[in-house]
Amino acid sequence: MMQALAQRWKNWKQPSLMRRLLLAQMGVVALLWTMAVALLLYDSYEDPELLKYDKIFQTVLAISQNMADHPDKQQETLAAFDAALLETVGDGDAASDSSPVMQVWQGDRLIYRSTAAVPVILNSAPNRIETVKAGNREWRARTLVSATTDTRVMLAEPSVWRLTVTVMYRGYYLLPLVISLPFLIFPAWLSVRLALRPWRQVSKETAERGPADLTPLSYTPPHKELQPLVQSINSLLQRVRDSTSRERSLIADAAHELRTPLAAMRVNVEALKEQSTDEGQRELMGNLLRSNDRAARLVGQLLQLMRSDAVSDNALPVMLSLDGLVQDRLAMIEGLASARGIELELVCEDRVPVLGERESLVSMIDNLVNNAIKYSPSGSTVVVHVAHEGPHALLTVADQGPGIPAALRERVFDRFFRNPDQTQSGSGLGLAIVKSVIDRHGGEVTLGETAEGGLLVTVRLPLAMAEAPQPMLCS
Amino acid sequence: MNLLLVEDDLDLGNGVRIALANQGMDVVWVRRLDDALRTLDGGTFDMVLLDLGLPDGDGLDLLFRLRRDRQILPVLVLSARDALNDRLRSLDDGADDYLVKPFALAELLSRVRALARRSYGFNDETIRMRGLALHEPTRGVIVDGEPVELSRCEFDLLALLLKRTGRVVTRRVMEEQVLPGGQANGSNSLEVHISNLRRKIGQGYIRTVRGIGYVIDVQSLVRSTTK
Repeated sequence: MMQALAQRWKNWKQPSLMRRLLLAQMGVVALLWTMAVALLLYDSYEDPELLKYDKIFQTVLAISQNMADHPDKQQETLAAFDAALLETVGDGDAASDSSPVMQVWQGDRLIYRSTAAVPVILNSAPNRIETVKAGNREWRARTLVSATTDTRVMLAEPSVWRLTVTVMYRGYYLLPLVISLPFLIFPAWLSVRLALRPWRQVSKETAERGPADLTPLSYTPPHKELQPLVQSINSLLQRVRDSTSRERSLIADAAHELRTPLAAMRVNVEALKEQSTDEGQRELMGNLLRSNDRAARLVGQLLQLMRSDAVSDNALPVMLSLDGLVQDRLAMIEGLASARGIELELVCEDRVPVLGERESLVSMIDNLVNNAIKYSPSGSTVVVHVAHEGPHALLTVADQGPGIPAALRERVFDRFFRNPDQTQSGSGLGLAIVKSVIDRHGGEVTLGETAEGGLLVTVRLPLAMAEAPQPMLCS
Repeated sequence: MNLLLVEDDLDLGNGVRIALANQGMDVVWVRRLDDALRTLDGGTFDMVLLDLGLPDGDGLDLLFRLRRDRQILPVLVLSARDALNDRLRSLDDGADDYLVKPFALAELLSRVRALARRSYGFNDETIRMRGLALHEPTRGVIVDGEPVELSRCEFDLLALLLKRTGRVVTRRVMEEQVLPGGQANGSNSLEVHISNLRRKIGQGYIRTVRGIGYVIDVQSLVRSTTK
């Protein structure tokens, strides 16, 4: 639960282009709205609607003058009119900060004021809209003087800042934003998502490639923004391709060049060994030859690895009979086994066809069997099985050696990994080659244990579906 | 036996020359393609040991020229190239055998001898191995001085095994080369022939490699003689 939350938080925290675009769009909407509101406010500050209507002033003047004789009725009528004004322009509440204020004088006597809370507001000159400060507040006020009597009417509206605060406070500004933004977000999200579709296609194609696939991307978007990206990916792929092939040919050349001096060393030591009669010297030369063997094997395996890595474009799989191939290879390796006093045994069913590349399958078989021979005690038997198993061709190699501890059975396929308890010399490449070959043939390999505790390697390769497998030629 | 060794590497060339000379062979060693051509024109050789990557050209060119001039001189290619294609190409171009560097001296000697045997077989058509002697033209077999009568199949099997002494001959090769319509004869016919053969020449020679094939070892294994 906590982990899921943490994961969510991490996802949310991760920067996202979608979010940036959405935020930018929402920001623009909010900004436009703010500007519109500000413009409206400014407009009503410069020219408050109420103060522009002379008719209102004149009505108030008329009421005041006509009813000057009946102060009670005059007060009542003015109050009613003020209430109507409040109702139309303000929000009906005289005590509110944003309500307009009306004050009427006759001579120097104030005959009516909307509320006692607002002090007397005096314009410096009649008939002009001015900002007047009264009781710590600013007002936009205008006074009109009667042409015939000394009656004056002053109408005032609160200044823009007060208005703004009120507008904000009452939610006139935020509420529309809060309500409309969610409605805006979805179409914005949808449009951004649709617009980013080519982008996703590029990333999909990039994600789907195998590690060895260095061909240029097949999807070339027509979009101006994506083209540079695809071009740089392709040129990067090209550079990687070049450097990989350079690296490969370099290693292949090096391995190749190493073989001649190794051969020279071997021939000279062997010639020397034949001439020597001193047992001590012969033993030392035997050591030299064994080291030479190891170096040669390592070079050979490096070459095999290069070949199995080079997802050879030119190597078309051919129909091979696994039983025949294994028999041939075992016949070749038998000399090595019998020299070590180890018996090889093959138990095989007839006609086990697989589709594959001959040379890499050969290196797979050689490495498996050589390994088995290497770790087997003298006098023991290495048994190889080839059989059908459902849709698979089954190849097992069982030895009577010490086996591999279960904990290491995955790691031994890593390049140059060696069982630390292992006393036999080796490069740590054999099983890596085996794995790479089997992966390329769409098969699987598992390591297990025989009943006697020896190593049991089980290889499954897809069985080729053929009416009649071609007989394989022997080399 | 006169051998021409074409190898540009100093240490390897010298080593092979000395090793072969120790075995009583006369070796002329050249390091370049030009020299090889001149030397071949100037002398008679029984065999060429040919490296492929030479400083002034590919050994295959020499091979090609030799074969074009219809020379049947045996050629054993020594190369660091071990890819199947390289081997097949050399053999297609007329090489008689192919040995990948680095090689064991014993292997080189055995291939050279086998090649020599094959090429001047008219001087010595008898293959001898321990107490066995097999004469191909007359199809005669002598075991410990006593002639032995073998059927056609038994003789062919023995000849096949003796020509590849020390190397396992797979069951399939035997069935394909010796038993016509091999599989039709029943799966145990190879075993029957081998068992008959063993009865006639003695048990110590042919070793079974179960499921794989049969071999005549160069030296009799202690196990098989004590059995």
